[in-house]
Amino acid sequence: MDHHHAHSTGSRDLRMARSMCWHCQSEMAGEYFCERCVKVQPVSKDTDYFICFGLPRRLTIDQNKLEAKFYELSRAFHPDFYQNKSDAEQAISLGNSATLNTAYRTLRDPIQRAEYLLDLEAGSVKEIRTSPPSDLFEEILELQETVEAYRASDRDSETGREILAQLVAERQALDQRKQDMEHQLEQLFTDWDTLQDRGDATSQARAERDRLLKQMREILSNRTYVKNIVNDLAETIE
Amino acid sequence: MAYSDKVVDHFNNPRNMGSFKKDEDGVGTGMVGAPECGDVMKLQIKVQDDTIVDAKFKTFGCGSAIASSSLATEWLKGKTIEEAQKIKNTDIVQELNLPPVKIHCSVLAEDAIKAALSDYQKKAAKTEAAQ
Repeated sequence: MDHHHAHSTGSRDLRMARSMCWHCQSEMAGEYFCERCVKVQPVSKDTDYFICFGLPRRLTIDQNKLEAKFYELSRAFHPDFYQNKSDAEQAISLGNSATLNTAYRTLRDPIQRAEYLLDLEAGSVKEIRTSPPSDLFEEILELQETVEAYRASDRDSETGREILAQLVAERQALDQRKQDMEHQLEQLFTDWDTLQDRGDATSQARAERDRLLKQMREILSNRTYVKNIVNDLAETIE
Repeated sequence: MAYSDKVVDHFNNPRNMGSFKKDEDGVGTGMVGAPECGDVMKLQIKVQDDTIVDAKFKTFGCGSAIASSSLATEWLKGKTIEEAQKIKNTDIVQELNLPPVKIHCSVLAEDAIKAALSDYQKKAAKTEAAQ
């Protein structure tokens, strides 16, 4: 699809899996439709979402291109157009539409896109070892206690109002921290893409790659923890 | 999805909620989190003569995570360090009837047990070396 994926095994498998039309068994040249018999082809389960939209595997992507491709493929796969086709084609249309929707939702959101790319680059979350942020955990558990104290308190009492004021302040501080983390992530996303564009295979580049992956993993995880407690906080005080 | 009666029971009446002072003698602390869902678990054990005499937990997360850690502290009490090592997440899944989407909560609880045990052993080794 594009040269960035040429060395990844994932795309090789994909090409192998899709090298033959399921219907006429001719060699596949088209993207999602066989050029010979014009039958729709299933999106391989192993395909990655970037390939699916013809986008390079980067953390900053062209949103317009993503959207345009999404609409184009949505139309191409839409079950309405397959009502008079064979069962096999109807099944492919349904399957492709579902995959396409998940792929679009994942890539549209920068955080989900990053989580997804990290999974592709490093396997599961657990493959990148980061030490648990004990201080943050302590803070979250302490805050959780204050939230519970507020839930149990008489909200019109002085204590209730005091706790509320404290929680409002905490929420603001946490929101700010979440934003700071998102800014840090933006910078890391740019650094990652720059490194990928350079395409160096030196040991220095590899070390840089691992450093960026680890840092992104760490901040993404911490952001999830903070986001959870902020949501809980918001639910309680609003 | 409905929680099993046992999960609801632990959630409504959590056993051993609270904490010990981290630097207290014989206390091991396990602090773990699940970056996928944002759950946080703190599990502590108090050990005397190689036996866990008390255990406490604090969990920020869903009902299954709270139930898993609550159950873990119940099981830990009275066990030796060696016996405690043998607690598996699958035991928790079975006892609480956790559905597949909640298995990671039991994994988190097992991780917390392991972390608390290893923290205790590290501390014990240090104390021994100092004597």
